[in-house]
Amino acid sequence: MTATASGTGTAASPGRGASRVAALAYRYGLLVVLAAMIVLFSLLRPAFATYPNALVVLQSVAVVGIVALGVTVSMTTGGFDLSAGATVGAVVMVTALTMVRFNLTGGTAVVAGLLTGLLVAGVNVLLTVVAKVPDLVATLGTLFLFQGLALIVTGGQSVAPGMTVDGRTAPGRFTEGFAWLGGGRIASVPVPVVVFALLAAVVYVLLNHTRWGRALYAIGGNAEAARLAGIRVARYRALAYAVSGVCAAVAGILLSARLGRGDVGAGDPYLLQSVAAALIGFAVLGANRPNALGTVVGALFIGVVINGLTMLNAPYYAQTFVQGALLVGALVTSYTLRRIR
Amino acid sequence: MTFTVTSVSKVYGATRALSSVTLELRPGEIVGLIGTNGAGKSTLIKILSGATAPSSGTLSLDGRPLAFGGPLDAQAAGVQTVHQNIDDGVVFGASVADNLTLDTLTGPGWFLTRARVRAAAAAVAPGLGLPLDAPVESLPASARQQIVIARALARRARLLILDEPTSTLSEVEAGVLAARVRKAAAAGVSVLYVSHRLSEIEALCDRVLVLRDGELVATFVAPLERSAIVTAMLGPASGTSTGGPASGTSTGGPASGTSTGGEADAPARREDPAREGRDVLVADGVRAVPGGHAFGFRVRAGEVLGVTGLVGAGKTELLEQLGGARRPVSGRLSLDGVPYRPKDPKDAIAAGVALAPEERAAQAIVPGWSVRAHVTLPWLRRHGRSGLLARRSEAAAARRVIELFGVRGPGHEAPIEALSGGNQQKVVVGRWLVGDLRLLVLDEPFRGVDVAARADIGRVIRDHARRTAVVVASSDPQELRGLADRVLVLHEGDLAGELPIADATPERLAALMSGTSSRPPAGRGGAE
Repeated sequence: MTATASGTGTAASPGRGASRVAALAYRYGLLVVLAAMIVLFSLLRPAFATYPNALVVLQSVAVVGIVALGVTVSMTTGGFDLSAGATVGAVVMVTALTMVRFNLTGGTAVVAGLLTGLLVAGVNVLLTVVAKVPDLVATLGTLFLFQGLALIVTGGQSVAPGMTVDGRTAPGRFTEGFAWLGGGRIASVPVPVVVFALLAAVVYVLLNHTRWGRALYAIGGNAEAARLAGIRVARYRALAYAVSGVCAAVAGILLSARLGRGDVGAGDPYLLQSVAAALIGFAVLGANRPNALGTVVGALFIGVVINGLTMLNAPYYAQTFVQGALLVGALVTSYTLRRIR
Repeated sequence: MTFTVTSVSKVYGATRALSSVTLELRPGEIVGLIGTNGAGKSTLIKILSGATAPSSGTLSLDGRPLAFGGPLDAQAAGVQTVHQNIDDGVVFGASVADNLTLDTLTGPGWFLTRARVRAAAAAVAPGLGLPLDAPVESLPASARQQIVIARALARRARLLILDEPTSTLSEVEAGVLAARVRKAAAAGVSVLYVSHRLSEIEALCDRVLVLRDGELVATFVAPLERSAIVTAMLGPASGTSTGGPASGTSTGGPASGTSTGGEADAPARREDPAREGRDVLVADGVRAVPGGHAFGFRVRAGEVLGVTGLVGAGKTELLEQLGGARRPVSGRLSLDGVPYRPKDPKDAIAAGVALAPEERAAQAIVPGWSVRAHVTLPWLRRHGRSGLLARRSEAAAARRVIELFGVRGPGHEAPIEALSGGNQQKVVVGRWLVGDLRLLVLDEPFRGVDVAARADIGRVIRDHARRTAVVVASSDPQELRGLADRVLVLHEGDLAGELPIADATPERLAALMSGTSSRPPAGRGGAE
């Protein structure tokens, strides 16, 4: 793994104690803090360290984590998919509409959701790769477009079984199979957690063990060098957005299944949390680049902190601040400590 | 107001970028500074403009010592530098007047009125003749440059350093610049004019300083003779410094291509394939740069074709067209008799043509990546086992490159930055040799590479040429000696001549490279 290669070359630098500490903090700091938090919460609240609560934490991070995996892939090429949260929201609406309004099957809803994700990805690719708009602003534009589109197709209303459309009651409902995606369990593990684990494994293998992953990282590292080495940069950047779109769509499907309704703005909180998880992931094991393992740890970190604080009866409105502090700490780890080393 | 540099040296790590340079710049004098890449020009400019401190030696102005803590100190002392990239010196989206007054309006008063800005602008550049209200981006490059120069002069310039000022200017615009420079000199400013364009140096400068390998090797006083300048730039035929892989070139006198010392057998052995070898690449009607003259050339199997010319002659532009990295300007290429028109480097590689680019850091190195990952990046498909990358097969490829080139360093899993420049270069050149290619295109493969690594790289390239045709570009023809069979010489985008290496004497090369040889086969013309 090239990530380890970059790490080993630096750990060897002996010298002043300060830089050694910085090197260790850079590499393991985040994992140590995560472990310390788990220990602390377990001591303060014995209920924290139980299997059911572990599942609760995992369930709560599954959707964010899946979105974050997509954002991670979009970041590998040096891009940035800000539209991921809006994609989640749009997919929630599309799946709900498919089943409730048009009375189609859950399978159709899943397909419609995935197509929605690919549609967003297509727009992102058009804007960034073809029209050469910078990634950050292009995907910001897409974010607004699809947030707005979800509002237009639903007339600004939530989509729920039994809603009225044109004076009549909508014919469909969330099918049982579809709802299982959100609330079902496979051997006591919630389905979204299983999906998250599978996707994490897939993205990990994609990024670390396939030539596509290698090409994605090459583009993020030095796009011109990648081009001259025979990598078609535009195609890989398109691939990165496609993966991001599909991940956001999967997250949207799971969220829709869990909510059992299509709420306007259901996807809104997921952008910032997933970006935070991916960025926190930079600091895991000194990778200093987007990586699947780091993103999973980042998502867990957020989930553990929120769950633990909730158990300690910390006010819910402090959560955002705590997440922000986490993110800032991780960013300092990956950007500042790296230089001190 | 004489600006004096006394035994200034600059050492970066193990490399000596400047060694004991002493020079004097007198008021009203236009002094040219010339040298090949890596000769130390930019280091000298950086020291003069305060961007970096010399490792030893002193700067002084009229006998008073100067110590610059940074560029602002240098500016305060009257050293004004206009950098190569004009647009680094102007603020887009602002008017000409705004740009002219960037330095002066930090004075008293809170509010900027248009009248005040205009008045200040007129004071900065009296008689500039540019529309003060026009947005900067609507002006041609030369006008933007005039703004930058006017600002530099307005900061009480005593020494004006112009770094490659014409690299983005047309010929007419360059004329405007020359007039401006003469005017500044007439007003008592010393001008240090750094350029690769000999014609400008010749027309403009009172004196020319030639840097080579960090040393000031020659000073010429007007009237200048171009080919003498080029000869001084390139160094004596003995190849004191490097002379490419065949370090044992004959000393002094007109060196002939066959007297390559210890490597004498290599060119001789290649003579047969060079003559009888089939054409691998045939280029017909190609141009190095738009607006140049069309020319043709061919590369035969088993042959190394050298391409040389001064910086800006169009070598990189030509090579990038061969490697699919640049849209072809015109003409046709064919590869082994089949039309060859790569639309990107991937196409070129698929057709069997690889380009090792000029700028290693910017175009070949992926920061933080291991040697192994660099070696296999172009060949990832070959290292796949059911979709996954096979680390073992990658490592084997990396070890082959390390062995083939004698790459010295901490092994193939170490980040490439842990290697010296020469060994990094071996990796990014060597990775192409582990594939099956028809044509290998190398742009300045010896750039920033130490002598030992040069020899290693040259040896492997020559070896490799037995299987593949090779094109090697270098602005230092010494590097091609003992490596190439033939040399194409480019001059300002045109083909100035083509020589078998045996005929490529330093004198003929200098004449062709400086554009003072009227007809390539007719030998060199008078340089005066």
